[in-house]
Amino acid sequence: MKQEFMGYKRPNGSVGIRNYLAVIPSVFCANTTVGKIAAQVEGAVALPHAVGCAQVGFDLELTARTLKSMACHPNVGAVIVVGLGCERFNPQELYDAVKENGKPVALFVIQDEGGTTATIRKAVDKAREFKAILDQDRRTPCPLSSLMMGTKCGGTDATSGLAANPAVGNAADRIVAAGGSAILSELNELLGTEDFLARRAVSPQVADKIYSAIYEIEDVLRSGLDPTLPENRNHLISRGNFDGGVSSIVEKALGGVHKSGTSPIVDVIEYAVPPDPSLKGLFLMNYESHDGEVVTGMIGCGAQLVAFTTGRGNPTGHPVAPVIKITGNEKTWRSMEENFDFNASGIISQGRSVEETGEELLELILRIAGGEETTAEKIGGTELFCVGRRHGYHRKSREELWAGHSCPS
Amino acid sequence: MLRKSLMINPMDSVVMVLEDAKKGDSVVTPKGTVTLVEDVEFAHKASISDMKKGQPVIKYGEEIGYLLKDVSAGSWIHVHNMGCDRGKI
Repeated sequence: MKQEFMGYKRPNGSVGIRNYLAVIPSVFCANTTVGKIAAQVEGAVALPHAVGCAQVGFDLELTARTLKSMACHPNVGAVIVVGLGCERFNPQELYDAVKENGKPVALFVIQDEGGTTATIRKAVDKAREFKAILDQDRRTPCPLSSLMMGTKCGGTDATSGLAANPAVGNAADRIVAAGGSAILSELNELLGTEDFLARRAVSPQVADKIYSAIYEIEDVLRSGLDPTLPENRNHLISRGNFDGGVSSIVEKALGGVHKSGTSPIVDVIEYAVPPDPSLKGLFLMNYESHDGEVVTGMIGCGAQLVAFTTGRGNPTGHPVAPVIKITGNEKTWRSMEENFDFNASGIISQGRSVEETGEELLELILRIAGGEETTAEKIGGTELFCVGRRHGYHRKSREELWAGHSCPS
Repeated sequence: MLRKSLMINPMDSVVMVLEDAKKGDSVVTPKGTVTLVEDVEFAHKASISDMKKGQPVIKYGEEIGYLLKDVSAGSWIHVHNMGCDRGKI
């Protein structure tokens, strides 16, 4: 199989698989304005969100780094930043980050421009100018080693762990073997697999980081539980997971971990912070598992596309990166085929091998990297763009996090 | 009626039933044929032997929880009879 795809080579050496004009608000107060700007410019994507003000500390830092990572992402060719003017996250910080990244960028502040209508008019003019520049860009052959794939489950049932996740894991192994990268995250759904993951670390230092990351997520979750509330408020897995035959968080974790394949874990990376470009391979991203927040964080780490497994079925998409929907459930495939890109159920129903299914999936990944639309892109799904949050939790030292856990051998 | 099932790891104490199955249906496992004592939906788990309260439930070769009550072979294993303490307060 030819291990390359047609992508956009960026001046800083990164490779994009889409060439979006992104219109990004620095604060939720600018969401309507942003939506109206993007609607008037063909091929523009709006990134509305719920944050940018009344936040402090790590929570505000997550907002800042997420918005900057979307704007600086290789799938984005040019950026319009829209601020309100009084928000906590300064739109100038977002503008400066994109400027440094070396792509066309413009900033419009609603309170300075004279209101919504004037802002839209000026921003649309600028956006059309940028669009004409982007239309000159051409795809060129790019090696598989320039690809980073996020891996995610959503709407998991018991077939995910048997078919869809192993198929994604096999494709991830193929990308890593070719010199590319993949990301595993959703650490709250990996509780109970830390020994297994730490054994795959490239060094004792990385193993240590894996334990700390999982213990931290467990601590974060525990800090949010409330025994005075009804029991279903404290469940870590959803009703759909239970209905699909998954009975515990550990059972879900053991099925979920397969989507990372078998490659060594080269590092634990932070939410929406790309690793050093010289480091390639399988990464663990330190974050819990809200579908949108995790997918956005992985894209923020540089993933140009995401492999998303779902046994129950899931129609969601992301404005910055293609999200490939893969199911291992033949019944779900038949009942909502318009929402799926890949059927891995042959592993269960026809005894097909994980290897041949993974190879077929990689072929699809390369076609999508080269511009073929995913089902979510055709539908126009963008709801997976969600900015990671963590409020009311103070990050703890290694000693505090490890206390209460039996020391790994 | 014979229903398809899958044991993921030879150490497992449960099989995954690969089609909607009814009480009285049989599943063939590497440890012998088991008759289901209740309905088991597609992708849900069934026990392959009699097990006691407190015994671990093994799937993927790992402990995914423990039994909250005694079960006989061919029982549906799910949240009503399996507990797991991980991730709780």
